[in-house]
Amino acid sequence: MTFSPSHRVDLKRMASKASLKQKFLKKWMEDLRTYGSSNPFTTVSERKRIIKLSADIAMASIQEGATKWSRALIENASQGMDTFKKSAMSDDRGARLPSAASVAKMIASKKISKSRRRRTRICKPPRPKRLQARSIAKRLVKKRTQVLKNLVPGGESMDDASLIKETLDYIMSLQVQVDVMRSLACMSEHLHRK
Amino acid sequence: MSSRRSRQSSSLGPSSRISDDQIADLLSKLRQLLPEIHDNRRSSKVSASKVLQETCNYIRSLHREVDDLSQRLTQLLTTIDADSPEAAIIRSLILQ
Repeated sequence: MTFSPSHRVDLKRMASKASLKQKFLKKWMEDLRTYGSSNPFTTVSERKRIIKLSADIAMASIQEGATKWSRALIENASQGMDTFKKSAMSDDRGARLPSAASVAKMIASKKISKSRRRRTRICKPPRPKRLQARSIAKRLVKKRTQVLKNLVPGGESMDDASLIKETLDYIMSLQVQVDVMRSLACMSEHLHRK
Repeated sequence: MSSRRSRQSSSLGPSSRISDDQIADLLSKLRQLLPEIHDNRRSSKVSASKVLQETCNYIRSLHREVDDLSQRLTQLLTTIDADSPEAAIIRSLILQ
């Protein structure tokens, strides 16, 4: 049986992804155990935040600082976790509201509103159609590049070339994160059903 | 990754816009990550803005999935204590 070159590449990619999944799961579970033991009494929304933030931190940590997005994400997510830890340790549990809002804001700022496909309005003097189309395309690329910068952690300060590299790496890491979380959720649901 | 700008049509600076080469590179890699990308036209001329849009949509959908999964796991992972069946399975997965 002969493998095509692309098949070989796929196998290699699958193997490296499997190792990433393992690393992610390990780091994530270790962190969850740490957070869980120090904060036994948590609300459902707090638990969700912990689960999500620790998953992000784990996803970024296995990069070992090699990518910009991972460093930015660790910073953002750690801030979120610190706010939680601080409020959980304080005696007045009512003081949690401001930090919950700040974390929610931080997470919300990562999501951006859907960029609707709009007709770009040209307010310039009439030009030949060919040039017009090109300037529309240019503007659209610029706009969508900006959208991408908002989606990738730390993207704001990236130049276009590194943005693309970081985007590819970020997407692959997100896929790893989603795969592991989904497997865990399905497994847990299956176990709990018994 | 190639930084050649063979098809740059404007006189803008090097990092002010993504070149066609980079877009082609990104597209081919994205195709591998995301098989469902709309590549009916297998030409190298799929628009840069379309690729960027697909990328952004995909990232947003991944973010949503992570959020949904976090919600699901909240009910399920009450504690990762040593005796739970999840812990045993996770341990065996990690140690492989």
